[in-house]
Amino acid sequence: MNTSLRGKYCIAGVGETEFSRGSNRTTRAMGAEAIRNAMNDAGLKPEDVDGMLSYHGGDSTPSTSIMYDLGLRPNFYMDCSGGGSSTEALVGLAMGAIEAGMADTVAIFRSMNGYSQMRIGGTGVRAASPITGIDLLKRPYGMISAVQQFSFTFTRHMMEYGVKNEDLAHIKVAHSNHASNNPKALMKQRVTVEDVMNSRWIIRPVAHLLDCCLETDNATCVIVTSAERARDLKQKPVYILGVQGRGTKPGGDFHYQHGPISRVAGYYVGPRVFELAGVTHDDVDVTGCYDAFTYTALLQFEDYGWCEKGEGKDYVTSGIINLGGRRPNNTSGGHLCEAYTHGMNMVIENVRQLRGTVDDYCPQALEGVHTYDYSEGHCRQVRDAEVSMNMGWGTPAVGSSLIMRR
Amino acid sequence: MPSYVYRGQQINISDADTEYKGYFEAAAEHRLVVKKCLDCGLLRGEPGPGCPWCTSLHWEWNQVSGKGTIYSYQIVAHTVVPSFRDWAPFAIVLVELDEQSGQPDQYDGLRITANLVDESMEPEKEENVAIGKRVEVAFLDGEDGFTLPQFRLIDEPPKGTVWRHQL
Repeated sequence: MNTSLRGKYCIAGVGETEFSRGSNRTTRAMGAEAIRNAMNDAGLKPEDVDGMLSYHGGDSTPSTSIMYDLGLRPNFYMDCSGGGSSTEALVGLAMGAIEAGMADTVAIFRSMNGYSQMRIGGTGVRAASPITGIDLLKRPYGMISAVQQFSFTFTRHMMEYGVKNEDLAHIKVAHSNHASNNPKALMKQRVTVEDVMNSRWIIRPVAHLLDCCLETDNATCVIVTSAERARDLKQKPVYILGVQGRGTKPGGDFHYQHGPISRVAGYYVGPRVFELAGVTHDDVDVTGCYDAFTYTALLQFEDYGWCEKGEGKDYVTSGIINLGGRRPNNTSGGHLCEAYTHGMNMVIENVRQLRGTVDDYCPQALEGVHTYDYSEGHCRQVRDAEVSMNMGWGTPAVGSSLIMRR
Repeated sequence: MPSYVYRGQQINISDADTEYKGYFEAAAEHRLVVKKCLDCGLLRGEPGPGCPWCTSLHWEWNQVSGKGTIYSYQIVAHTVVPSFRDWAPFAIVLVELDEQSGQPDQYDGLRITANLVDESMEPEKEENVAIGKRVEVAFLDGEDGFTLPQFRLIDEPPKGTVWRHQL
């Protein structure tokens, strides 16, 4: 394993648009704003950004359009097909492009009207399109949404390890508490286990409405450059220690043909990213574990080794993942409460955590002055956060991970 | 390109579709088929072009018994597909076929997605849906020539643990 790039690259800038359900504008307009915000965050001018990477599901605007909106002239760009777990992988590809001499500074963006145009949950355009190919074995049976694609894994895990819906609800509760201290979050209201249990069923036995993330209109961006360059920029550098993905479990799209069905890609990604980063679980202060559904977070906690297999229910109900706990997860509120962004908001949040400048309700938050009062409407900065880890999820079979240090 | 409509959804199966066309042609003849590798002889539950175990690209359609066991399930309480609303709540099951169960690896099996239906091809009652219960294929014939393999419960002793979530 080539560990020579450990700490050699940084995330120098982060930015996003408003998170909304009805942006009333194009993915081009949002993408340009998110990239511009990240450039301003880093203190980069158009001539400083010579690389662009994006990911999409046929629902975004290409780099070749957005580059002109900001006066960029990339020496390198690629628009990649992909959803969740792409952010982390593209951070690695940006490092590779820079290492190969193809560019010096790369902006990675995702822009999606995930609520008002191409709904991620499958309603509308996706459900109306003709059924062909691999979908022939799914959609004629009424199986189209993401939670349905994952539910055979979830249900089987529930049987094998005795997970209760109350256990899953604790994940939503923790993330909602975090979101209540995030002015940007789409759903800031704190919820209880009872609220989750009383919300209507989507898929039995694995997901009530409040176990599902929030379809959102938004664009997000992170900018990767060398550590050397980053040290001259506006923000405190956040160093990339290790990145992996998109890694897979056997079978790819057909992972149900193989098993164990309740195992996810993190089982394979985890050991590699820890080795690459040169840190252990104990070194990590804050996690960003992909919460498309409460169950995706629980499965990844197990297979990345935060607990034994089958003990994810204990991990998520123990208080560890809450602000004030040993290792808070998704301190922005994540996909369940801040916004569904296909993973980038969780990377952005961890960059801000490591800078010590999370944008909570503390009056001097952006100067790094925090109260560490985690009650509603106050602070969400993790005290003295030094190392973070993101765990991106594409499907049970696809995942990526990113470990960063301040 | 043959085109069909099922529950308000347009289904297009290209003449050049090497994965799924033969599967649905067999279904129209009320035969459930999977691909069999002509080199190593193993069956595969998803009809791809190559053998996951020996990489051979030589295959033929192979009829299976159509009997199996519910391996996992989901009850769709809320559907995002408008034409399925009158069906909800309905079950989608992952059925492990009897052939090649636990082979070549203990975790392998030929696993097929379908709805669990009753004698009248309507959704089986939710309380009857459970992992471990025995099922058999049932073919739902559409008026335009499209036939969809479904599964029904059969009166055989369950295989392994019978489990359904107690709400």
